[in-house]
Amino acid sequence: MGRRRHTLFRHAALVAVSAVMLVPFYWVIKTAVTNENIYAYPPRLLPENPHLFNFVDVWYLIPFPRYLANSLIVSALVVAGNVVCNAMAGYALTRNFPGRQGVLLLLLSCMLIPFQATIIPAYLITAKLGLLNSYVGLALPLLSTIVCIFVFKAAFEAVPHSLIDAARIDGLSEWRIILRILMPLSKAAIATNVILAFIWSWNAFLWPLIITREPTMQTLPLGLARFLSYMEDTTGALYAFAVMVLAPSIFVFLMAQKEFIRGLTSGATKG
Amino acid sequence: MTLPDWARSRWVIVPLAMAIAVAGWNGYVALNDGGLVEGRVVDGAGRPVSGATVILLERNFVMHNERQRTRADAAGRFRFTGNDNHSLQLEAESAPLGRSERRVVRLWFRAQNVTLAEPLQFAGRLP
Repeated sequence: MGRRRHTLFRHAALVAVSAVMLVPFYWVIKTAVTNENIYAYPPRLLPENPHLFNFVDVWYLIPFPRYLANSLIVSALVVAGNVVCNAMAGYALTRNFPGRQGVLLLLLSCMLIPFQATIIPAYLITAKLGLLNSYVGLALPLLSTIVCIFVFKAAFEAVPHSLIDAARIDGLSEWRIILRILMPLSKAAIATNVILAFIWSWNAFLWPLIITREPTMQTLPLGLARFLSYMEDTTGALYAFAVMVLAPSIFVFLMAQKEFIRGLTSGATKG
Repeated sequence: MTLPDWARSRWVIVPLAMAIAVAGWNGYVALNDGGLVEGRVVDGAGRPVSGATVILLERNFVMHNERQRTRADAAGRFRFTGNDNHSLQLEAESAPLGRSERRVVRLWFRAQNVTLAEPLQFAGRLP
């Protein structure tokens, strides 16, 4: 009985904390389905006369479908790039080669450098490659991320060496070991890569702002800033836009959250 | 008959359901985007106002601008064609009755065919 009450209390506490965490999301959605001023006092807890026409306004008042398509294309490139490049890098780091510790240290130290500090060389390299104002250029800096390399490395290290040795004895090349043995056993790491890469790419603002030259190449965060410059008041349409920008990344997270959490914690209890 | 494992994955079912919903919605839009806006104009007593001028205003970004005018027939009915906006306002004018209230008409998509459920109503009554 005491244990049951304890579980009940724990769940009640978790529900209460979750509710507090979800209040900002609720407030954004509530404002999106009404035209209430967020500074109105006293604030209304429940939406009054809710409707979805603010979402229709967002869809038509700015080229939302174009921004959405741009964001989807760039995010798809980033996700594909991350899964492929990070898996290769992660596998390499599980092998023994001269200077491995140095490479690991270099990667770890590079994580300390903020992207803003490297944005000028990144821009110059992208310009030299002739990729300014292109989808590949938009995706380029995020095609491989160090955190995700380590996620793959941890997942690959968790696979028994005997399995890889057996595959090698059977004549599989290194590429096929990654593709046929390691990747199917690292679904959690793949999901983590997909989610993180998608969210980082989806929310990227500074890089697209710098390298896009035409409004037709802009992504959703830039569209949101542009929309904000038109709609300076706190209208429901602005919040509807925010909901429409947020929805895909929340959707991807919800779809893969189980594998995501497993991917982040795999290797955490090793040894 | 059982479906293979991959077909029962949420990564297949959810995107497929979304694709079907989007296709269905687009089909509905394609069948209903003729740009027709229809309705009636009545006086304060609910009698049709023939010959009333009905003005259609459409939203650009922050304002509504006049786009079309038409006249109500003997039964007070009016009809606009070629609307390609999603947020409209309608207003009626008549020499003896002045102006009606301005009606906001929100559509779910551009050029949606719509018939006003409630007529445009003048405050005054015809003699």
